Amino acid sequence: MMSNAQIEIQLIASLVAIACAIPGTFLVLRKMAMISDAISHSILPGIVVGFFITQDLNSPLLILLAALTGIITVVLVEYIQKTGLVKEDTAIGLVFPILFSIGVIMIAKNANDVHLDIDAVLLGELAFTPFDRFIVSGVDVGPKSLWVIGVILLITIALLVAFFKELKVSTFDAGLAASLGFSPAVIHYGLMTVSSITTVGAFDAVGAILVVALMISPAATAYLLTNNLKRMLVLAICFGVFSAISGYWLAHFLDASIAGSITTMLGLLFLAVYLFAPSKGVIAVIYREKQQRTEVSLLTFLLHLKNHTEERERHVNHLNEHINWQKVRSKTVLDLALKNNMIQFEKNIVSLTEKGDAFTSKAIDYIITNEDAQIEDMKDDFFLFRG
Amino acid sequence: MDITEYFNLVFTDYTLRTITLGTAILGAVTGMLGSFAVLRKQSLLGDAISHAALPGIAIAFLITGAKDSNVLLLGALVSGLLGTFWIRSIIKKTHLKSDTALGLILSLFFGFGMLLLTFIQKQPNANQAGLDKYLFGQAATLVESDVWLMAIVTGVCLFVLLLFWKEFKILLFDADYTKTLGFNTKFIDILITTFIVLAIVLGLQTVGVVLMSAMLLAPAAAARQWTNSLGLMVFLAAIFGAFSGVFGTAISSSQNNLSTGPVIVIVAGVFVLVSFIFSPSRGLLFKQIRFIKNRRDLELHKTLAFMFHIAETHDNISHPHTIKILNNFQGYTKGTLQKLVDKHYVTLKGKKWSLTEEGYKTASNLYNQQNDNDE
Repeated sequence: MMSNAQIEIQLIASLVAIACAIPGTFLVLRKMAMISDAISHSILPGIVVGFFITQDLNSPLLILLAALTGIITVVLVEYIQKTGLVKEDTAIGLVFPILFSIGVIMIAKNANDVHLDIDAVLLGELAFTPFDRFIVSGVDVGPKSLWVIGVILLITIALLVAFFKELKVSTFDAGLAASLGFSPAVIHYGLMTVSSITTVGAFDAVGAILVVALMISPAATAYLLTNNLKRMLVLAICFGVFSAISGYWLAHFLDASIAGSITTMLGLLFLAVYLFAPSKGVIAVIYREKQQRTEVSLLTFLLHLKNHTEERERHVNHLNEHINWQKVRSKTVLDLALKNNMIQFEKNIVSLTEKGDAFTSKAIDYIITNEDAQIEDMKDDFFLFRG
Repeated sequence: MDITEYFNLVFTDYTLRTITLGTAILGAVTGMLGSFAVLRKQSLLGDAISHAALPGIAIAFLITGAKDSNVLLLGALVSGLLGTFWIRSIIKKTHLKSDTALGLILSLFFGFGMLLLTFIQKQPNANQAGLDKYLFGQAATLVESDVWLMAIVTGVCLFVLLLFWKEFKILLFDADYTKTLGFNTKFIDILITTFIVLAIVLGLQTVGVVLMSAMLLAPAAAARQWTNSLGLMVFLAAIFGAFSGVFGTAISSSQNNLSTGPVIVIVAGVFVLVSFIFSPSRGLLFKQIRFIKNRRDLELHKTLAFMFHIAETHDNISHPHTIKILNNFQGYTKGTLQKLVDKHYVTLKGKKWSLTEEGYKTASNLYNQQNDNDE
């Protein structure tokens, strides 16, 4: 039987996962994934200053102040990049460690006043979140973190629904978006603001660095499975929630950090999809590359047959040495040609069938008109079996 | 303890000498290799590698149960290399972009490392404390053997760098050309990446996982501003890195409650800031000065051209005109007028100006040729 605290922890973790997956999807698509890493580090000074003022890690003022530091990071990176002195990635790599160092030093210098643990900021402690209750006029309405991340999630979803079209267009075609009258700057900074606020809202639960994992990896995993934005969002959310809950139980059994376990689950999920995704997974890619190599060999072979009418050139023994393939390879190619009824044997003399001849002629046409890409589509019409 | 006292202590106090030497060597080697990372547009790779090294440290500890820093660093090296090559394979085999691949490996490896670290902390093994020094680094834990290791790695690194200098350089600037020349680009590439990983791993104990990337980038980014030559840049970056290490250690040990890592990073950041602003050829300050100067020259030319067009309509080019007619003209100020007088292009008489022979000649040729002496 799950205790109340356990249910609350899983609920908070799931909400954080959803709140991160939504901006994360757009960050991945816009090639700005590393910005989320930068933000997650550089909010530290903002958190420290906010903590000085409010003395409460869950205060909305602190969240806004820290989110502002996130925006400042983005602006700073863009400014440095615009000077042309260094490239964008160097700019990111310079800004966030320096801001983070300032935060660490601020904490160290005021250790007596700030009861803020850098470890906790970076790594979070989900296990403690149910103990900090939100009490409204004497009534306990749940953990504070739940409310914080719940509000952030609601705002994120509202913004997503309201600006879905704008986000979509500007993500895939910034030029079109600008010509349609959506300011790219507004959308860009809007997305940055949401990412910053989400990062700050979530760091208390899962820690700053692991927010990055929750933003990037569900989206990246989903991106390997689909090219459809809506489906990608849904998949990313599902992966995030699945990792959050399974990660919680992994941590429970190992007696280890919940945030670390959630990330590990995200990692395993990504690894599985990375290897086994139907069309974009590594195995599928390697298989397809091999298939294409065989099919290119087959085409070379058929072209050779078509070019030579004399029997001597088409004798099985001669072919082996002429095209200079190894035994196994020639056998694969020959088998494929036979299976597809492209060639026939007559006393060890190979010749094209009618179908093989049609295929080869068409392929030649495409090759001499520089439309090699068309051959790929043609294969569907001719091949019964692929390489 | 103040700074002067500190510098006296450096030569007498064993711990302080060790730390100072260690951070200086570390700064030098990371600066050196960081130059390549920056120029290869792999700046964030350092961040990813340093995070990816964490699980290696934890696993090395789990396997050996010893806190020997060399063994742990070996684990970090393996895990860092694994992360690096996974990043490459993601970029090569899937349509995920490099930023996504970096962020993924960085956060996933780090998260897994955290899982292992917290798991280790719960183990009934009194020896486990201190592994988290790799998170933020603790220069104070450096001992002489660590410094020796750093020195040896730096030496090897320097040797390889000199040996393959030509290859590294050509790969940096034109990878395709390198390939056509018959160099084994893959080998050179792996060599330099391995050394970058090695430098990062060396720094983990001192600066920590989180801040290591700045150690790699900042000296190189600062050095880049002062020169266009690779050799000079690598040399400068090493110097900047070493000084960041020394100054950072000095500042942090002269104050209470200051860990060395963040201070070194901030000192390196100051180097970057100064370079960004004051570098003579690329710096923002001189760029701004050049910009203002150019604008002034342009305004001067515009005023002169305006005068020329007025003078053109008269038979006598030195016919005096009132200053008033210049008032509506954008480029005109009292200063520019005075400047023209100083150059003997214009003479002033009371409230009237007139173009001199020389001024007329210059103005008529203003847009035909470059007038160097006008600046």
